[in-house]
Amino acid sequence: MSNAMEWLQFVLAPQMINGLSIGVAVVLMALGLTIIFGLLDVINMAHGEFYAIGAYLAVALLATGMSFWWALVLTPLLMAVLGFVTERGLIQRVFHSKDRHTLTLLLTFGVAVVLEDALKIAFGANPLRLEAPISGATEMLGLFFPNYRLFVMLFGGALIAGVWLLVFRTSLGAIVRAAAYDRNMSASLGVPVQLVYAGTFAFGVALAGIAGVLLAPIYSVFPTMGKDFVLIAFSVVIIGGMGSIKGALLAGLLLTQVQSISSLYISPVWSDPLLFGIMVLVLMWRPQGLFGKLGSA
Amino acid sequence: MKTRNTAIALAIACIASSAAAQNQPIRIGVVTPLSGTYAGIGQQVRWGLDLAARQINAAGGVAGRQLELIYEDEEANPAVAVQKAEKLFQVNKVDFLTGTVNSGATLAVGQVAERNNRLIATTVSFADSITGDKCSPNVFRVNARAGMQSAALADWIARTRPNANVFYLGPDYEMGRSTVAAFKSAAEAKGAKSVGEVFAPLDNKDYSPFFGQMRSSRPAVIYTSVAGNDTVRLFSQMAEFGINRNVQVVGASGTVTSQNLPAIGKNADGFVTGVGYATSIDSAENRKFVADFEAANKSAPDLYGADSYGVLFFYKAAVEKAGSTDTDKVRAAMRGLQWSTPQGTKTMRAGDHQAMQDMYAMRVTNGKFELVGQVKADAAIGADVCTRF
Repeated sequence: MSNAMEWLQFVLAPQMINGLSIGVAVVLMALGLTIIFGLLDVINMAHGEFYAIGAYLAVALLATGMSFWWALVLTPLLMAVLGFVTERGLIQRVFHSKDRHTLTLLLTFGVAVVLEDALKIAFGANPLRLEAPISGATEMLGLFFPNYRLFVMLFGGALIAGVWLLVFRTSLGAIVRAAAYDRNMSASLGVPVQLVYAGTFAFGVALAGIAGVLLAPIYSVFPTMGKDFVLIAFSVVIIGGMGSIKGALLAGLLLTQVQSISSLYISPVWSDPLLFGIMVLVLMWRPQGLFGKLGSA
Repeated sequence: MKTRNTAIALAIACIASSAAAQNQPIRIGVVTPLSGTYAGIGQQVRWGLDLAARQINAAGGVAGRQLELIYEDEEANPAVAVQKAEKLFQVNKVDFLTGTVNSGATLAVGQVAERNNRLIATTVSFADSITGDKCSPNVFRVNARAGMQSAALADWIARTRPNANVFYLGPDYEMGRSTVAAFKSAAEAKGAKSVGEVFAPLDNKDYSPFFGQMRSSRPAVIYTSVAGNDTVRLFSQMAEFGINRNVQVVGASGTVTSQNLPAIGKNADGFVTGVGYATSIDSAENRKFVADFEAANKSAPDLYGADSYGVLFFYKAAVEKAGSTDTDKVRAAMRGLQWSTPQGTKTMRAGDHQAMQDMYAMRVTNGKFELVGQVKADAAIGADVCTRF
């Protein structure tokens, strides 16, 4: 009995808390992706690169002597501008074609390639690191956890809750959901649909940017950093249901727990195949994912 | 540079066409990456060779003949290296060839040398197989191999932390698994106890899921062979979770390099690795070499520059001992040859063509490598497993 308790406290609990902190990071990435898909029907292949740009922006801002906290506020604002411009300048150009899915997929993929190389030219290929603004670690009930990761969990959790409230409990959120549900009806009722589209894309990109700043001190900053989370974020969005916020949250937390706990028993190399195996099973039995789209949730 | 060297060679050939054969220059082919990922290593190779050739020629050359270097870019690609080596042997008629970096390129060019009945030496490639199960009578290695680096590190651990519990963390692919296996056997032979190992995928983002396993096995030493940005993440995350507190972190020679050291920052402090050269080696030869190298290139030498500098003195000593540039005579002279390098006197082991040299343990302190230990050549060299000659 005492052995089982010890195992719970010293093996399972730290592993689960660890998984939770990675889960919050994954959900932050998946959130922007699913919102953009839910409203615009665009699979944003450049999401990982927007995440990387967020991290590099923070590096650049900190280099001017700015504090981490100001960078955390300023970066998403700058990223929103970048997202707005990308939507109006690039995505809108192919948005109304009947091959929208293919064209936007190719377009955002191209943007991703260009952005990655632009980062390489501007900042070099060598990794950079952002010093964590909160140092030290907390010991609780025999558990040892870095303070900065605790902060990321709390702040990320609050951010996710904030996005939820914004989309489902405000009139702005109602407009966005209405535009996602029926574009023509919303337009005829006076909703500036074009602006809502650009604004939502900008919002999704800003979320990727925030994730970039928050996670940079943990995962370091380099041009291809976007590739790390974007695959798992895509899987989370597919499993949770394309466009569903609830689905992204649940699938994100669930999958990272599965990865985390399974890594106690299987070689870490198998944790990604496990994830994609789950994705394949979900696609076979419930191709629409666990939950429906943004407009219907 | 190449065209100029060729032009000079032509001019000399015209003027001296009537002169005796031994007054013609000795041509040495250099197949090394001058572009691409390994261009930085190729640069060191070139700086080291150019400096040595200048010094040897100024002092009267090799047996009265000048040395002439002919460079070709191998683009860090074994297939290109083979073509360029073939050209140097067939068209330029080089007497000797060096400069290959990638271990695959060294093995492939070694076969070209066998077909052409010429000798080559590598100054960079680490793979144990080059002077091990894939050894060749035409291939020599003047630099330290991977196994000697492991031996130096294992020896340092045995002296500073006798019978330590060691945990291993490697990237999950051929290089990662073979470096861990090699270090593990070297450490266990010195009394260390292995308490666990993990192989994480290449480009792994978060190492914290493995920290529970690491902590519970209570290691005194953690060995890792991750490289590049994986090192940045591993080291900063270990610091975050306090894993490296009261634990000695050691690793492969490619784990912490000048490319990722700035990003790792203070979290790299205390890291120890085993290498075959350090600028801080305290000998008259090395101080002179470092000063000459810095004066010529406005940059400090690394192990590649030092061993490439040394290889020309190896060839010079062999040709002067043989009294000829004939392949068989030079090969016989190279076997068991002792020659002087920035690291001190090296000996070419006859049985497998692997140079024997003292090895060094280096520790990162305030972002710089400093010398903390030294292992004698015969303790680091390991068994001769070459069976071809």
